[in-house]
Amino acid sequence: MLSTLVWLPIIGSLLIAFVPFKLTAQQSRTFALVISGVVLLWTIRLFTQFDLTNDAFQMHEFMPWLPMLGLNYDLALDGLSLMMIALNSLLTWVALYSSVGSMERPRFFYALILFVSGGVAGAFLAQNLLLFFLLFEIELVPLYLLVSIWGGEKRDYAATKFLLYTALAGVLILTAFLGTAWLGHSTDFSYQQMLQVDLALPTQVVLLSLLLVGFGIKIPLVPFHTWLPDTYVAASPSVAILLGGVLAKLGTYGIFRFGLGMFPEAWSLLSPFLAVWAAASVLYGSVTAIAQKDIKRMVAYSSIGHMGYVMLGGAAFTELSMVGAISQMVSHGLILALLFHLVGVVEAKVGTRQLDQLNGLMNPLRGLPVVSALLVLSGMASAGIPGLVGFITEFLVFQGSYSVFPVQTLLCVVGTGLTAVYFVILINRTCFGRLDNQKAHYGKVSLTEQVPALVLATLVVVLGLQPNWLVHWSAATSRSLVAAVPMTHEVQVAIQPPFQGF
Amino acid sequence: MITANTLAHTSWLIPCYPLLGAALSFFWSPALIRLSGPRPVGYLNLLTTVFALIHSAVALVAVWGQPAQFLQIPWLQIADLNLTLPLELSALTLGASLAITILNLLVQIYTVGYLEMDWGWGRMFSLLALFEAGMTALVLCDSLFFSYILLEILTLGTYLIVGFWFNQSLVVTGARDAFLTKRVGDLILLMGVLALYPLAGTWNFSELTQWAQTHAEIGQLQPLTMALIGTALVAGPVSKCAQFPLHLWLDEAMEGPLPTTILRNSVVVATGAWVLVKLQPVVALSPFATGLAIVIGSMTALGGTLIAAAQIDAKRVLSYLASAYMGLILVAVCTGQVTAALLLVLTYAVATGLLLMSTGSIIVKVITQDLTQMGGLWSRRPITGLSFLVGIAGLIALPPFGGFWSMMAVMEGLWQQQQWALIAVVLAANAGASFAIMRMFGLIFAGDRQTMTTRSPEPLWLIVLPMAIMAGFTLHMPLIIRELSLYPAAAQLSLSSSWVLGWALVFSSMAGLATASFFYVFRRVQKPAKLLPPALNQLLAYDFYTPKVYQMTVIGAVGSLSQITDWLDRYVVDGLVNFVGISSLFSGEALKYVNAGRLQLYALTIAFFVAAISLYLSWSYLT
Repeated sequence: MLSTLVWLPIIGSLLIAFVPFKLTAQQSRTFALVISGVVLLWTIRLFTQFDLTNDAFQMHEFMPWLPMLGLNYDLALDGLSLMMIALNSLLTWVALYSSVGSMERPRFFYALILFVSGGVAGAFLAQNLLLFFLLFEIELVPLYLLVSIWGGEKRDYAATKFLLYTALAGVLILTAFLGTAWLGHSTDFSYQQMLQVDLALPTQVVLLSLLLVGFGIKIPLVPFHTWLPDTYVAASPSVAILLGGVLAKLGTYGIFRFGLGMFPEAWSLLSPFLAVWAAASVLYGSVTAIAQKDIKRMVAYSSIGHMGYVMLGGAAFTELSMVGAISQMVSHGLILALLFHLVGVVEAKVGTRQLDQLNGLMNPLRGLPVVSALLVLSGMASAGIPGLVGFITEFLVFQGSYSVFPVQTLLCVVGTGLTAVYFVILINRTCFGRLDNQKAHYGKVSLTEQVPALVLATLVVVLGLQPNWLVHWSAATSRSLVAAVPMTHEVQVAIQPPFQGF
Repeated sequence: MITANTLAHTSWLIPCYPLLGAALSFFWSPALIRLSGPRPVGYLNLLTTVFALIHSAVALVAVWGQPAQFLQIPWLQIADLNLTLPLELSALTLGASLAITILNLLVQIYTVGYLEMDWGWGRMFSLLALFEAGMTALVLCDSLFFSYILLEILTLGTYLIVGFWFNQSLVVTGARDAFLTKRVGDLILLMGVLALYPLAGTWNFSELTQWAQTHAEIGQLQPLTMALIGTALVAGPVSKCAQFPLHLWLDEAMEGPLPTTILRNSVVVATGAWVLVKLQPVVALSPFATGLAIVIGSMTALGGTLIAAAQIDAKRVLSYLASAYMGLILVAVCTGQVTAALLLVLTYAVATGLLLMSTGSIIVKVITQDLTQMGGLWSRRPITGLSFLVGIAGLIALPPFGGFWSMMAVMEGLWQQQQWALIAVVLAANAGASFAIMRMFGLIFAGDRQTMTTRSPEPLWLIVLPMAIMAGFTLHMPLIIRELSLYPAAAQLSLSSSWVLGWALVFSSMAGLATASFFYVFRRVQKPAKLLPPALNQLLAYDFYTPKVYQMTVIGAVGSLSQITDWLDRYVVDGLVNFVGISSLFSGEALKYVNAGRLQLYALTIAFFVAAISLYLSWSYLT
């Protein structure tokens, strides 16, 4: 059941790359879409099989691989993983759909995207720390290539920066994993066994800190974020959708699964600090976004801000804030993918991303009215306007966190206000204003280019109006995650945090 | 069999009709419009509004004289949070819903006439319908949380509807400022919403009222906490009602089409007052928050009328008067006179709707909003002129019209509480409003005709008819107040004090009307503005220089902060990482050979080294 999600894309990827006869760009795109479409349907089937009342891992799949290393092929699913898998399957399909057919080396491109998708699915399902790490690291190579071959200007710089940062993250994470296993005298790296490991609190704090920095680079949290704007901007829209929508979630997923899951005591000790870090990330990302002149860069910085809400929810670790944080991961993925897709369409049609050159795209005759309307929708969703999915997930985070960290929560509310500021700047400059009739000879936006946006926009609206369909999947998992953590919010930070967040 | 009672119990449908209309308007979006032309979308939305109107009316009849009933619509249950949408069905809420739908119907008919030649009907009517849906839902809903949601959606609606003619630069900045100012208020309100729940355990207004009453008696709440929460809860209404210092947006929103202005100035701004009325028991727990709201309301009431009297833009006069009246309403709510405040909302909304309809009827034919270019229209535009006069009578305290009775109710309440200073505020604001509105009348209708006003017939019947109907409502307001016993029973005083207050109000109105008539209707002084020192004149004409103050404080602060952070991000954070980190080591000389052809090789190298490092780290364990 679960293996299909991992292996189908990888097999598809190998097929596209190595079938001996000639494939045109359009054929490889269609083939990749079919594969990811099947994966998407399989994911939907997964939802029907998922047991909502069970708060433990479900649908185990186990196969010994290298037992002497403690490395086994071990997959399972809980509410958190389910949400991430769904996001991954959907956004892979969207990313493939939003790719343009005419590019260099299309077979290689589609093969890499499918490979990333399969690997990420494996990472979200892995029940073995080494397996997770392997899949986490293996993503880097295809992503590096995707950015550096099909990216925009400065792609080499961006790809290298991305690779180095993430490789550093990998080293930190591996160190933490190995440290946990060895210091805890664990016999293998299975997640269930790691949960039993009992370490002294200072050791836990050190290991957790390693994980926080490692995954913090991936999310990213300020000040480990500087690879993000460069990479997201250099990446093509499809790759940016994957990077921002799915890959960034590996960071928060890792923090929740391994940080919060394995070191609950240390987590509750560090949580006030984490909440401050989250709020700082939110404010920093939002404030910096205001100053951007490039809309793609603006959206990239908005991502930093929004991942801060996820961290806030995790830091507070009440049941409500955890549900909020998990749902926020999904809603952020949907909205960010929508934004990146639209920005990509605007760039493709108008030929620029600069705010001082864009103007009046809402014009119904010569502009891009549908794209503009969707841009307004997605900007407002990101700014947390109710009725759209961004609001309810942020609200759950805020309401769940307020009782624990009131000041930090209110600072994050200020962050949503700043989000509104830069999205209004974006919409006012891009969609509103007078279109220059002399210059406006934009190509027509085809239905193909609109389909991914329409699908995502529908989800953003439907889940915003009926959030039950989004939140109840992760309720049981959140409950069990929170139950594992001792409620010691009153505990003061006894040890100086080993790193400074900002 | 559908009876009145069934309709009452399905009142949740009332906001759904316009919402359906708004959704169906999608089919008249620009790409598809060529098939049918834009008109059907207008008629469709008129139809859904009629449905909502009839439903409201029948439901109102059904619940008349009965205690409030509540409907619960479950929405979201997660963890320990249970969000159920409670609807209150009472004469008050359904009456408000009826008033909103009637006004919306008139405004939509007016829009058909006013935007006859516009191409954006789909957007216009869907947004008008969105406002109708949002407001009817707001008056029916009995929960702070859902009220907040609706207010936020209306904020977005304001942004889009003000930005309707989005290719004009003033419209774009107006829409931006309206959105952001209202959003500031909304978010502070959200902070209050978040903070209130852990204390009260509910967001339902009726339960909050009970909670506030028990706690007012026991008094075990922290004064500081309650002051902060109270202030946060007041902030939302302050921004919605365009109160000082968040008032500028209403003025800038005048850049939107006039039919939307009618709706906005008469009822949309009043949504803030409605929420404040519902929250009054909670806000009353904190003397600080109450006092703050009263001070803000009084300042806006006085300042608003002064600024209104100095404007030369027809719509701006009315926008500052809107702020001023909302200020009075704020004062009334926060001194505990909820019924009087709601009565003032009603008389104000009807009168100001009429005034704006008449103003629009002038503007659409004169093609300018500049009052100094108008004049001498009385003989050309009798219907509009009379409607305007009726509007004036309904707005200010002039017996026997509506405005007099609502102001009387407020004054009597203040008298009972011996709030002499606030009585003076009401009298001064009434005098100022009378002056400002009569000045506007004089500038438009009296004096000599100018270039712009030489040819100005009455407009299309689609504009005149709603205006005339509205004038009828305004004239009948005293009867409506008496027949439905809307006058607060608690406010009725002894005969002698009522006489004092009544005459004081009449004199204040008369003073304003007479002064304005002297200067502007009979034109006894050339350039009356010259009588004031130029500095004062400028101060009022430029709205106490509020735009500059904003620019220098909030906007400047956020702007420079973002510039500084961006600079830090580019040169300090990134620079430091590049400098310290391995990237500077690698990305310099060693990676020079990286070109498109060899990227894979390079990536493999990195992957290999990562693997090697991992292997190295685990070496001791393996052996």
